[in-house]
Amino acid sequence: MRRIAIVEDNEVIRENYADALRRQGYEVAVYGAREEAMRAFRTRLPDLAVVDIGLADEVDGGFTLCRELRAMSETVPIIFLTARDSDFDMVAGLRLGADDYLTKDISLPHLLARIAALFRRIDVLSSPPKHDDVLTRGPLTLDLKRLTASWNSRTVDLTLTEFWMVHSLVKFLGHVKNRDQLMSEANLVVDDSTVTSHVKRIRKKFAAIDPAFDAIDTVYGMGYRWKEG
Amino acid sequence: MAIRHGLSIRTKLLLATLVLGLIPFVGFEYVREMENFLRAGQEQTIIAAARAAALALHDRPRLLELRTSRPRVPSPDQAGTGDALHEPDSVTVGTSETALGDRPPRRGSDEALAEIELIIKAMGRRYSRIWVVDQQRQLLAVAGSLRRNLAQDPLIPPPAEGWWGTIESTVLRPLYTRLLAPPSEDFDDALPETVLSGGKEVERALTGIPASRRRHTSDFRATVLSAAHPIWSGDEVVGAVVVEETTNAVLSLRNRAFEHLLTVTLAAFLLGAGALAIFASRLSGRLTRLRDEAESAIDARGRVQHLVQGSNAGDEIGDLSRSFSTVLERLAQYNTYLERMADRLSHELRTPIAVVSSSLDNLRQKNLEPDTSVYIDRAEDGLKRLNTVLTRMREATRLEQIMREVDRERFDLAQVVSGCVGGYTSAFPKHRFSISVPQQPVWLFGSADLVAQLLDKVVENAVDFSPPGESIEITLLLRDGDAALSVANVGPPLPETMQGQLFESMISVRDHAKDGKSTPHLGLGLFMVRLIAEFHRARVLATNRSDGKGVVISVVFPQAM
Repeated sequence: MRRIAIVEDNEVIRENYADALRRQGYEVAVYGAREEAMRAFRTRLPDLAVVDIGLADEVDGGFTLCRELRAMSETVPIIFLTARDSDFDMVAGLRLGADDYLTKDISLPHLLARIAALFRRIDVLSSPPKHDDVLTRGPLTLDLKRLTASWNSRTVDLTLTEFWMVHSLVKFLGHVKNRDQLMSEANLVVDDSTVTSHVKRIRKKFAAIDPAFDAIDTVYGMGYRWKEG
Repeated sequence: MAIRHGLSIRTKLLLATLVLGLIPFVGFEYVREMENFLRAGQEQTIIAAARAAALALHDRPRLLELRTSRPRVPSPDQAGTGDALHEPDSVTVGTSETALGDRPPRRGSDEALAEIELIIKAMGRRYSRIWVVDQQRQLLAVAGSLRRNLAQDPLIPPPAEGWWGTIESTVLRPLYTRLLAPPSEDFDDALPETVLSGGKEVERALTGIPASRRRHTSDFRATVLSAAHPIWSGDEVVGAVVVEETTNAVLSLRNRAFEHLLTVTLAAFLLGAGALAIFASRLSGRLTRLRDEAESAIDARGRVQHLVQGSNAGDEIGDLSRSFSTVLERLAQYNTYLERMADRLSHELRTPIAVVSSSLDNLRQKNLEPDTSVYIDRAEDGLKRLNTVLTRMREATRLEQIMREVDRERFDLAQVVSGCVGGYTSAFPKHRFSISVPQQPVWLFGSADLVAQLLDKVVENAVDFSPPGESIEITLLLRDGDAALSVANVGPPLPETMQGQLFESMISVRDHAKDGKSTPHLGLGLFMVRLIAEFHRARVLATNRSDGKGVVISVVFPQAM
């Protein structure tokens, strides 16, 4: 049974998420403060951690926790679930090694979908890829089971949200995806500018591997389009 | 600019200078007093002169006895009133035919008459006429003249020289002449028979009582003051001495005093009024500038500027300026607070919303009766609305963050506009879009994404206001190095008062009661337009269409080189 840790200082939200996850068959451990969670993690690592950034008195307690947890394990999936939605926090959280950064607007079904996807990714990372689960578009390869992407055979380290956005763009080549479509395919409820900054981050990640990358085309007023190389 | 009603400070102060008008009034009273005093003095003087002359002739029976034996002269009513003695230029003796007219010649008294003549001549005063009558009202001798020789009068100053003389002779003199009517020396100085024989003062003097009287010359051009004194010979009145003078000397003295007074008060008035006018102009000028500054202190974008005018002045205007500045500062803080409010509010609300939504999601997982799920649907609906509000509120603050981080680059506005409009056609199928964009690229420096977002907001706004089926006109024009992007829609015109505020946070002209649309409006859309426009150093204008049928929102971007 998968074991999920929820570190959240608001008791009602914590219990609500815990109930939902338990119903999905996960084992859930809840913690209200950073120290309490770390003590438990030292004894036993969870299979996945959902962490709030502001923890009781500690404004950035979640960031500290993420750093410490990442130091203990390279692979434990960490999801930030927070009320803070500034780009700055999002970038900081993802840099610390979190696998996803979600705001509290997200509905429970969306959250569950993400958690399930992350577990699926862990499951298939060890097994060899099956052919039908791989989507290839020129130099881009998307492994739909592992939820990983590679460009010219080099892995692009995308978060879950980013992966789903790329997938949505390349699924039907040439189609323009507007922001709303991208959001719903990424199981995300955010505003337009968040989509813009996600796309910007995706571009940067590809450009880090290939400086000449320009496959994502902005169609002003409509959305984005994946250009075939 | 506010329209001022009533009088300006300048006008009021100028009206206040009219108080200076009291000065000539007081002076006028003073001169009148002086005139009365002078008149009284003149009267006393000529009474004294008459007495002196009479005394000189006292108890000189030889001189006047001759007369007593003479036959009576014709009574005054027998003599024609106009038949008067015309005074000769020089002292004359009563024997002259012309001088005495039809009176009987006074024989054998030449010596006596000459002596009287000598005496009264010695008594003579300048500009006065002395004459002597006997009991029969016979004129015995006359000396002196009533007319003044103005050229030699030391009381009349010579005309001034130089510029002052010019002003005096061309401006003041004619004015004074008109106002004061200077005494005329051109009067009829004839000694009428009525005066000679019927004058009250002569009558009384001949009964032994000194008397004086005032009369007009026969042509009414001058007033003559005359004093008569009896000449005694023992206990008997043998004749009377009459001294006459015109009041012209007093009048001209009074006139000169008036002239002086008028000149001085005129000068004082002009000086005072001038000083007050300068003061008033300065004062109202400063106040006007302060008002203009205060009016423009909050610019069209709601930013508050500091007041400069009079901020260092130590007087009340300085105080006013400083307290204005304080008030504006507080207003600015309040504005900032309001703008931040949206951010804080959305942040604070997010946790309780998460509580509600996660609870609802959990509830839905339970096996519910169908009628219960209706309520969950409704709750979720409300929650969704609440989330939309929060998302919109966040959008504005997020935008400010993005603009701090975004990289500026050169982009083609024409391409962005065409692309966006292509998207709108599918996004808003109920409306038609007409677009006019120049063929050549329109280069801007900034962020294409942000400009696209700006256009989104403006078009959303236009769509919300225009009835379905109407056309929305999107125009991009090149104009003196500027790129003017305008979106015109048919719909209700802007209220006059809102035109400047439209682009401020939380300002909305939507009629909430009427539009029952499900999407909530916070007035942040056009606020974001303003933010993005400012980021590109563009100006935003919301005006009513020239045909009055709708609104045009235009953004004027400076073009990149």
